[in-house]
Amino acid sequence: MGWESRGRGTRRYYTRSRWVDGRVVREYVGSGLLGEIAALEDEYKRRQREEEAAFWKEEKERLEAGAAFLDELAEASEVLLRAQLLASGFHKHKGQWRRQRGP
Amino acid sequence: MDLELPKDVQEKLAVLRALSEKAENGDKEARKELRRALRESAPEVIFRASDIGRRGQWALIQTVAANDPLTEEALVARLEQMRAKVAGPEPSPPEVLLTERICSLWLLIEVLEMLVSVQLSAALPPEQRSPMSYLQHVFKWQESANRRFLSATRELARVRKLQNNTPAVQFNTQINLETTDGDQRGEEPNR
Repeated sequence: MGWESRGRGTRRYYTRSRWVDGRVVREYVGSGLLGEIAALEDEYKRRQREEEAAFWKEEKERLEAGAAFLDELAEASEVLLRAQLLASGFHKHKGQWRRQRGP
Repeated sequence: MDLELPKDVQEKLAVLRALSEKAENGDKEARKELRRALRESAPEVIFRASDIGRRGQWALIQTVAANDPLTEEALVARLEQMRAKVAGPEPSPPEVLLTERICSLWLLIEVLEMLVSVQLSAALPPEQRSPMSYLQHVFKWQESANRRFLSATRELARVRKLQNNTPAVQFNTQINLETTDGDQRGEEPNR
């Protein structure tokens, strides 16, 4: 999207580019006031998209931060569990906990 | 809200982890030291981690309840019931933490479930709908939470089995056949 000058004339045209069947098609919207209005409208839509994206990114981060305590809990329980089993005389054999033989 | 383990507890966990590694490699002294360290550290680790678990659960409840006191109360009560049921009477230290983990993951699954159902509701105005990329992220998260929930539940069952030191459940199928002389068929099955 943007302004474009054609030939030797000084007149500027506002254009919009979009994808049609796998290729970019440029559409001439107009010059003068019509072009200005279209440019403002596009700018407004772009900002709105950016704001929405920022909002959802923030929302995602907020949710993730809210559940981060689960990692702390998982770490503490894993360390404690392993320590408890080892202290109670178990050992790990091929990924499985087994009771230690002998005294 | 600070939902991180305090530094001193993290240090205790690091000591336990290091001693566990040594004990796992056959160091008998480390095993003795581990027993001692566990006696000293376990109560505080459990207390702190459980506290973080409960505060985290409360934050999730507030998210899911969206200022509705009735939903808040219902979820707190449901969580209490679940905690008592999962932990059972006189839970061991690993059981206490695994129970907190299971309850927290169950709650997270509920929160994500609610988020998705709201977003997929036909009554939601289009301007309030989240983009597909966000929903995809929530779906992935849901999958991971479900996996972690099942894994924690399996872990708890495994711990209980090890603690009780009972053999694996064995199913013997008995087929009763007519007894003939010198034949052992029809005997009592192995118990």
